[in-house]
Amino acid sequence: MKKSKILQFVAIVLCILMVFTACNGKTTPATDGSGTSAPKQDDSASKPQKITLRFEQFSGSGDTEEYLKKMIEEYNKVNPNVTVELQTIGYNDYFNQLMAKVAGGTAPDVYELNYENFVSYAKKGVLLPLDDIINKTGFDVSKYNSMALNAFKVDNTQYGLPNSFSNVLLFYNKELFDKAGVEYPTNDWDWEDVLEAAKKIRALDEHTFGYYRPVSFHELYKAVKQNGGSLFNEDMTKFTIDTPENRETVQYMVDMVKKYNVMPTEEQLAGMGDWDLFKAGRLGMIVTGVWAFSDFTKNCEFEWDIAVEPGNKSKATHFFSNGYVINRDSKVAETAFEFASFISSSKEAVQIRLDAGWELPPVTDSSILEQYKKITPPSNRQAVFDSLDYLVTPPVIEQFQEFQDIIAKHLTVIVQSNVTVEDALSACQEELEEVIKIN
Amino acid sequence: MTRKNINKYISTLIFYVVGGLTAAILLIPFFWMIVTSLKTKGALLSIPVEWIPKNPSLAAYEKIFKLEGFSKAIFNSFYLAITTTIVQILSASMAAYAFSKIRFKGNEALFRVYLATMMIPFQVVFIPLFIISSSLRLTNSLNAFLLLQLFNPFAIFMLRQKMMGINDSFIEAAIIDGANHFHIFTKVILPLSSGVIATLGIMSFMGSWNDYLLPLVMISDKKKFTLPLILNSLNGQYGSDYNLLMAGSLISIIPILIVFMFAQKYFRSGLQVGGVKA
Amino acid sequence: MQKIARHNSFSKALPFILPSLAGLIVFSLLPIITSLIISTSSWDGLTKLTLFTDAKSFFNNFYIGLKNFRDILKGDEFWKVLKNTLYFIVLYLPLILISSIAVANILNKKYRGIGFFRVLYYVPVLTSWVAGALIWKWALSPEYGIINEILDLIGIEGPKWLQSETWAMPSIVLASIWKDVGYFGLIFLGGLQSIDPTYYEAAEIDGATGWRKVWYITLPMLSPVTFFVIVISIINSFQLFPQVMVMTKDAGPNGATQVFVERIYKYAFKYHKMGYAAAYSWILFVIIFIFTTLQLKLQKRWVHYDT
Repeated sequence: MKKSKILQFVAIVLCILMVFTACNGKTTPATDGSGTSAPKQDDSASKPQKITLRFEQFSGSGDTEEYLKKMIEEYNKVNPNVTVELQTIGYNDYFNQLMAKVAGGTAPDVYELNYENFVSYAKKGVLLPLDDIINKTGFDVSKYNSMALNAFKVDNTQYGLPNSFSNVLLFYNKELFDKAGVEYPTNDWDWEDVLEAAKKIRALDEHTFGYYRPVSFHELYKAVKQNGGSLFNEDMTKFTIDTPENRETVQYMVDMVKKYNVMPTEEQLAGMGDWDLFKAGRLGMIVTGVWAFSDFTKNCEFEWDIAVEPGNKSKATHFFSNGYVINRDSKVAETAFEFASFISSSKEAVQIRLDAGWELPPVTDSSILEQYKKITPPSNRQAVFDSLDYLVTPPVIEQFQEFQDIIAKHLTVIVQSNVTVEDALSACQEELEEVIKIN
Repeated sequence: MTRKNINKYISTLIFYVVGGLTAAILLIPFFWMIVTSLKTKGALLSIPVEWIPKNPSLAAYEKIFKLEGFSKAIFNSFYLAITTTIVQILSASMAAYAFSKIRFKGNEALFRVYLATMMIPFQVVFIPLFIISSSLRLTNSLNAFLLLQLFNPFAIFMLRQKMMGINDSFIEAAIIDGANHFHIFTKVILPLSSGVIATLGIMSFMGSWNDYLLPLVMISDKKKFTLPLILNSLNGQYGSDYNLLMAGSLISIIPILIVFMFAQKYFRSGLQVGGVKA
Repeated sequence: MQKIARHNSFSKALPFILPSLAGLIVFSLLPIITSLIISTSSWDGLTKLTLFTDAKSFFNNFYIGLKNFRDILKGDEFWKVLKNTLYFIVLYLPLILISSIAVANILNKKYRGIGFFRVLYYVPVLTSWVAGALIWKWALSPEYGIINEILDLIGIEGPKWLQSETWAMPSIVLASIWKDVGYFGLIFLGGLQSIDPTYYEAAEIDGATGWRKVWYITLPMLSPVTFFVIVISIINSFQLFPQVMVMTKDAGPNGATQVFVERIYKYAFKYHKMGYAAAYSWILFVIIFIFTTLQLKLQKRWVHYDT
């Protein structure tokens, strides 16, 4: 076998493939590029053309996808010339497949990102900066809750529009509080009150626990602020993980599990989720987000309510947001923006979102918010808004996910093995300095 | 009853007891999938475990059957799985024949290259593979997707192992009779390998039936969606409804079970075909 | 192994190899070579990949030479991951071989309803990891789990399984055996079915009994299949992934179940360090390649092809 023969052979193979693919290319037109078969439409305002808009998202999955379809219907009433191709992809694989499409230049025109991924995408320059379009169209961004809107800003440029908005609260089981003879939590509670109540509930019986909060980055980030500390120095140039305040914070979190055992260990959870424990009536208090409302309403056979999450030196609560972004290479960017703003903030869309009980619309419209407050349970829905005064936003770091995982890893080590808080925090500080670039 | 009969009776009994018990243990998670799919709430495991649902309901199944494009997706899945199985087995058995029965320069080396491709994790070739396929305009077509299935090193390796065990004397006999490679392959080697081919058939079918991430990026036209792509949208950001997920998985298992029952009859036939004994 | 003496040239083999070779080149080698190039870069997996259209700009923006490889081999993580993986293989390989050969033997019996049994044993292969993992997590739960309860009955205090740094990996092994035994059992069954019954008949005439038949006929005749299963399961073990993701949160206590593909997946898709992930994969490739080559070399000593 000569080399030339091999080359000849490879050439034959490639030819065959090309013939194959050429045939195929004819039968499936226009799937490359941004996937939009529509012509350019810069002057579409005057004469509407047929436009196809590709839209991918994850938050409307299962039941909620129906509501999203209704929003698109509403949008089409005003813009009948636009065909929205909705594709819903499950959360687990959404970002994997999205990366392939973005890197391959076939990203959809409008797509959804969670906050964790948003910063990476924006910093890599794959998203369309929205400021020009906002200025050009005179779109009123003050409709949005400013906190949520700012979350989708990187380096003072708006790259996304928030579509939902959730914050974290203290949920409690009223029956267990009654049984243990403890007053219900109020907005004035602090860490000490939580611990005392949790102890009393834990004393009820072997399988009932007082309190649960996930051992996660988000919880730490917030708890640190509740105790007057921070994970960064003021100008965000250095990590300040291992400080006296933070040690105290982590110690409090760990003691809940290890010393007082008011919060179950992993073994005690035995594969059950934290929500399941609460829904089973075996948990007095749980720190989780407003997205639990519909599940708890459906599945809890006891009365429950919420309160602003207690702090220590000050209060701090977390918020999460998903947003819609626009592909930098989209050929129909203006329509994409119009659509994204419609389904995130138009009165029609917001009303649908509200009626569905699907998270909190990220808007400031008081008539909408009044409606939201009236839905029960929880009866103290006001707490959702009271919490807004104490929101802390996650830091804008390009390696956000990695940062988050490193912190979670060290936290888990403290809770699950016998490493001291001091050792774990200094190890954490060291690893972060080595791996994460801030700015 | 003779002693031999008693012995036989006892060993049969032992077989059923041991086999049955092992099977029962293996099947617990499957049983639990069924139970969960019949629950009304998507509750996770609770303690104590609720082995029998209190209010069994078929609501989850109804919901899945009502998913947009469900029946079309079933059709697409069958289409893709059947064609994939045929393409893979054909292409793999041909290659395996060449590697095991034709001596050519670079045989071993080329086979090593085939094997080596299995050693790179899919996760890193995934994005390049997608970009290459989409620049060849292979996206959004089930038939084009089929091209990606031409090469299956696992199947080639498995068939080669089988074919290497086939005695060369058959082939020599055939050559004396004036047969060429094509005849030897179709008349001697394939029939003698039918047991392994049946096994591989199940695996190819299953692989294609469950294939998910690649079709997810390659196929964007909803009319061409396969079952896993439709079921995937049930995965939520904050946990999923487990009853729906389990009902979905069960629905997707059934066709493979049917294929399996059909194919396992052929496991034995590998020996009986072909004039000379193996 | 002797191959047919005459008619032996590439041109004869070509028609048979052509379809798979075409697939190999375009859909396997090309992406693999691309990933090799990516491994020398700091590409993030998000910025449009211009390697094919404008290679120059790709290299200008991302090329960093062998830095990824150096960083990986210098850090502690890699060695820990390697250790965890080898731990898995040492436990998994003997267990899966013994159990799947045993299952194949059960399924090779000619009892009534054997077809039904074959289906039953194959069901775990089809059961989703989500359901499997939930049940296993429950079964392995230190306080409420059935496994520790049984151990308790015979007076053994069970370990903390998935929550213990020592026992997390064995827990993964257990679940993996459950999932894979039907799969490899089926492959072994194919091997058993190919053994010519006349060998056994001849042995019986010579007075051979049960175990001798197994030792002198079954195992040698099964060796090509055993070889295949060992090669495949070592490759699979090095690429161990879904069970780790669903059974252990954040790769177990103190990273006890951190394995290669889990790391690669995180670097590639969560941390957007595609270059680093590709370098990791290539190191993994070299390791698997060494193992497989070793086996191909050693097979001549113990694998009997029927010629």
